[in-house]
Amino acid sequence: MLRYVLRRIVMLIAICFIISVGSFYLIHLLPGNITTVIEGPGASPENQAKLYKLLGLNKPIYQQYFVWIGNVLRGNLGTSFISQTSVASTIRAALPIDLEIMFLSQILAFATAIPIAMRSARKPDGWLDRTFSAGSFTLLSVPTFIVIVLMVLFISVKLGVPHTGPSSYVSFSQDWIGNLESLALPAVALAIGSFVVYYRVLRSDLIATLQEEFITMARSKGLSQRRIMWRHAFRPSSVALLGAAGVNIGGLLASGFVVQYLLNIPGLGYTLISAINMSDYLLVQGIVLVVSVGVVLINFIFDFIINIVDPRISRE
Amino acid sequence: MSFDNKKLLAVKDLATTFHTAGGDLPAVGGVSFDMESNQTIGIVGESGSGKTVLSRTIMGLQQRTNVTVTGSVLLSGFEMVGASEDEKRERWGTEVAMIFQDPMTSLNPVMKVGKQIDETLRVRLGMSKADAKARAIELLELVGIPSPQYRYDAYPGQLSGGMRQRVVIAISLACSPKLLLADEPTTGLDVTIQAQILNLLEELKERLEMSVILVTHDLGVVATRTSRIIVMYAGRIVEIGSTREVFAHHRMPYTRALLESSPKVSNASHTRLTTIPGRPPNLLKLTQGCSFAPRCSYATEKCHVDRPELEAADEPGHMFACWNPLPKTRRTVKK
Repeated sequence: MLRYVLRRIVMLIAICFIISVGSFYLIHLLPGNITTVIEGPGASPENQAKLYKLLGLNKPIYQQYFVWIGNVLRGNLGTSFISQTSVASTIRAALPIDLEIMFLSQILAFATAIPIAMRSARKPDGWLDRTFSAGSFTLLSVPTFIVIVLMVLFISVKLGVPHTGPSSYVSFSQDWIGNLESLALPAVALAIGSFVVYYRVLRSDLIATLQEEFITMARSKGLSQRRIMWRHAFRPSSVALLGAAGVNIGGLLASGFVVQYLLNIPGLGYTLISAINMSDYLLVQGIVLVVSVGVVLINFIFDFIINIVDPRISRE
Repeated sequence: MSFDNKKLLAVKDLATTFHTAGGDLPAVGGVSFDMESNQTIGIVGESGSGKTVLSRTIMGLQQRTNVTVTGSVLLSGFEMVGASEDEKRERWGTEVAMIFQDPMTSLNPVMKVGKQIDETLRVRLGMSKADAKARAIELLELVGIPSPQYRYDAYPGQLSGGMRQRVVIAISLACSPKLLLADEPTTGLDVTIQAQILNLLEELKERLEMSVILVTHDLGVVATRTSRIIVMYAGRIVEIGSTREVFAHHRMPYTRALLESSPKVSNASHTRLTTIPGRPPNLLKLTQGCSFAPRCSYATEKCHVDRPELEAADEPGHMFACWNPLPKTRRTVKK
């Protein structure tokens, strides 16, 4: 187990290195001269050359990378040329919103998918199983941005629930109920997609597990149905679920960005899209770096949980 | 309901039918036998003869869908057929327990073996956590697992097949059942381990005053360890009697074929084993006649159209189902 974790940590560091190189190089891939962006099209060539030198762009690229990564490791992601604010502080302000949406949506998705999948698997082809299997297919085929638009139409406009419409984000420190209200629609919209994935994965794995001999064995011990489902069937069936969750959360970030943009919620997604529109390269670079490392970390954590859930994996 | 203290188990006209896409499959068709306390009986037959289904039906463990069970299973006077899951659950583990065939699949792979034992103790006997753990370690010791306090924390994947089967036995013994159904308990194990496990079962049976039903396809296993033998074919009993009588004076040609197809120490080396020609019948296409007739060298016209019922042989309790039984000879069969 320890060896497995150490190996994974080495791999994690390697991946983070590759990500950092990638997001560093991103800036150099952009067409045009960055000094033109900063000084405007009318800048004199001497000034441009001066700035070029000031930014260290005349040095070899690997040196530039080491200077940059050194700063990044100390928490300095640079200062935006556009807004003249620290990239790190901009990210620090926006990130909690993403985390909160993610957290709420995943809690919702797991809290609904697990019990419903358990009941479905107990009676495959029963009314509950049929309803949710068919229903989840339908939900799977509806894109998140449609769901959001429909929810805004019905919940914000028709029902008039406060803080749910576009541009009505309330921060947590301001008013926590308002905050929950303002993040409810994105959380629910993202939870729907996750629910479908988790429900389907867990249901089919549970049905397979329930055919196993050790389940019959558990029955023969005189254990209750409930105990068999939760203590014996759930854990061996949840490996694929956790794997799916790890992958899904990465994808969820992207749909989260769309939702934030639609509802004007000032999270990382919204900030990223505005940064791209304004050619705020450093901010784009910072967000890409933070989000990529975040996805890698989440997957690492899920891998770790999978190992605890199924000790057979790290033994191989 | 008559309650006979001596009768631990009374099975009457027990039939299990699976409703499959291909039609109704009578896996067990009209089985009757009795069993007294502190007895070991053997159920033998080829693969597919209905032994496993029979033992699961006796316990009431069959799946709840697509199966019909008729007849009666009286376990210490309680009717198991048609009993609710709750009623059966009360008896599982305490009255009747089962040892499963394959220890590789019958233990939960992601649960420590100790937990799989003391779970039963806590849920069924209401033991405290500490008591259950102590008892689980005792049970591990009882089934001959070395350094049980360490094995308590092992996952099944960290144990060998023989060890796992010992754990399975420990689980089945946890609530001191009166009847233990051992469904091919050694089939998945090495020959040397097989003997160990069987001797262990025998020893535990004596020590804990249990009754055991030993289900196997291996006549060598039942020869010395059982007092009675039930020979099954195509879901029916074809011969039943005391072990000595069945080995020495069997009347059903199938029993003889089974005996001849198992290796004997007294045979010269490289002796070819006799095989039974053909295969067990497709239970979906059973005929009116004797199921064994197509493979039987004694079969006559009558065998193919009319099924023989069990009839009494010389010794009380010895019965066979055959129109053309083997002659009554006083042969001596080496065990």
